[in-house]
Amino acid sequence: MDREQIRERLASAASMPKDVVMGAAVLTALGNFEVCVENYRGITEYTDTLVRVQTKEGQIRVSGKRLQVEYYTNSEMKITGKISKIEFVDGRKEE
Amino acid sequence: MIHTLIRFLRGYVRIRVEGYSPERFLNMCSYHSLYIWGLAPSGQGYEFCMSARDLKKIRPLARKTHTKIRVTGRYGLPFLAVKYRKRKLFFFGIFVCVILLKVYSLFIWDIHFEGNERRTDEALSAYLESTGVRPLMLKSSVDCPGIVKNIRKEYNDIVWVSASLDGSRLKIQVKENEDPSLGEDADVLKDETPVDLVASADGVITEIVTRSGVPQVHVGDEVKKGDILVLGRVDVLNDAGEVTGYQYRHSDADIYADTQMEYTDTISLIYEEKNYENKMRYRPFLRIGSVTLSVGTLNNDFEHCEITSSETALKLGENFRPPVSFGIQTARAYTLAEKRYEQEEAREILSVNFSRFCGELEEKGVQIRDNSVKIHLYDDSAEASGTVYLTESIAQEADTEILTIERKETDESVGTDD
Repeated sequence: MDREQIRERLASAASMPKDVVMGAAVLTALGNFEVCVENYRGITEYTDTLVRVQTKEGQIRVSGKRLQVEYYTNSEMKITGKISKIEFVDGRKEE
Repeated sequence: MIHTLIRFLRGYVRIRVEGYSPERFLNMCSYHSLYIWGLAPSGQGYEFCMSARDLKKIRPLARKTHTKIRVTGRYGLPFLAVKYRKRKLFFFGIFVCVILLKVYSLFIWDIHFEGNERRTDEALSAYLESTGVRPLMLKSSVDCPGIVKNIRKEYNDIVWVSASLDGSRLKIQVKENEDPSLGEDADVLKDETPVDLVASADGVITEIVTRSGVPQVHVGDEVKKGDILVLGRVDVLNDAGEVTGYQYRHSDADIYADTQMEYTDTISLIYEEKNYENKMRYRPFLRIGSVTLSVGTLNNDFEHCEITSSETALKLGENFRPPVSFGIQTARAYTLAEKRYEQEEAREILSVNFSRFCGELEEKGVQIRDNSVKIHLYDDSAEASGTVYLTESIAQEADTEILTIERKETDESVGTDD
C-alpha cells in the first residue's frame, strides 16, 4: 500500500481534516470571479490568462481572463478575474 | 478600508520585477513572509505592492534569484512628509491647530440642563451667571459641589441636583419636586393670623362649605358686597350659654354665589385700513456688544410708513449666546383708506369679543349661567350690552375684629365657689 493511501485512510478513520494531515490544497471558489487557494507551495506561472500554482499533490491551473492576484502570502492567495477553468495536473509528470 | 488606511499611514511602494524567473522571486517573498498585494503581470515580469519597510529585505532575494527590481511608485504618508518637508507654514499650521484645540478645551463652552420642567433653562442659566458660572469660564475654576449647593439653596422645589463636566460642557441634572403637599401649600396652612371671609360681590349664596371659622350665612341668603360670610372668631361659652372668651381662627371655606355683571362693549363702525405699497427701504445690521454696524438708510419721503425690525441672536451650543446679533430693519410705505364695517362684520367682531371675555372668566373658575347681552347697531357705532349671570367664588379674606370681654361679676362668684 502506498504511503499516501495509508495517510488518507488514517485521516478518514480518525475523522481528521485532510488538509492538515495530508497537506491537501484548499480551494474556495466564489462564483466564477474569485478563487482562494490555501496550502500551496508557490506560484510557477502567472499571466493575465493563466495562473499555475504548485501544491504538494501537483499543480493547479486556473485559467480565465483578466486574472489578478489580489494578495499573496505564505499561507493564502486570492485570484480574481473571469475564471473559466480550474484544472488539477499531476505535478510529477512533465507536461 | 482600514487596511488601506494603515497601508497609507505606513507608506508602501509599487515594485516591478523582471528577469529570468520572477515567479521564484515571488515564492521567496512569500516564504520570508513578506506581504504582497496588487500582483499583476506586466510585460516580461510582474508588478506588485509591498510596504516600504519590506523593501530593504528583498535586495538579497533579488540577488539570489537574478532578478531586477525597479521601484515604480512611492505612496503613503512618510513619502508625502518627505516631499513636503520644506513647506514650513503647513507644519506650523498643524502645530497651531493642536495648540488651539488644547487651549479651547480649557474652557466651558456650553451649559446643559436636564430634568427641569418648571424652571426654564434661561432662568437657571441666569441664576448661574449671577453666581459667576457662565460659558467661556475656565474649566479648572468650575466648582461642581459649590454649584450644587447654590442651586439647592436658591430653589426650594428642586430636590436633587448634580453638576458634572462633560468635555467642555457643564452638565447640570436636576430633579424637581412633584409632590405639591411638600411645596408652597404647606406654608399656607401654617398661616394662623385670624381672618374673616367677606363677600367680594353682591349675590345669592348657592353653596357653602366651611372648613374653619363660623359660617354666618346659609344657602339662599342674599349678601351684599363686604358682608361677613365666615367669622374667624369662635365664641367660647360657659355652661350658662354666656360668652366667656373668644378663639381666633384663620377662616377657610368654599363659598359660591349667583352674581350679576353688567357688560358693555362699543366699537366704531368707521376705521382706517392700511394699504401696503411695494415701496420699501432696507437696512441690514450687525450688532456686536453695543456697537452696531449697518448698511443703507431708512430715510424716506413716504407719507406713512411702518418700520419693522427683526433681530436674530447668535447662539453657540445650547445656552451660550455671544453678544453678537444680526438682523434687518425694513420701512414699508402704506396709504390710509377710511372704511366702514358692514353690519355682519360688526356683529362678528362684537361676538368674538364677548366670547373672549367669557373665556377669560371661565379660566378664572367662574361659571356663566346665562346672559342677556344683545347687539345694537347705530349709525356709526355698534354696541353689545346686557347682563351676565355668573356663579363664582365670592370669598375674600379680611382681618377679624379682635374683641375683649370685660370680666363679669358672675365669673368671680363662680371662681369663689370652687
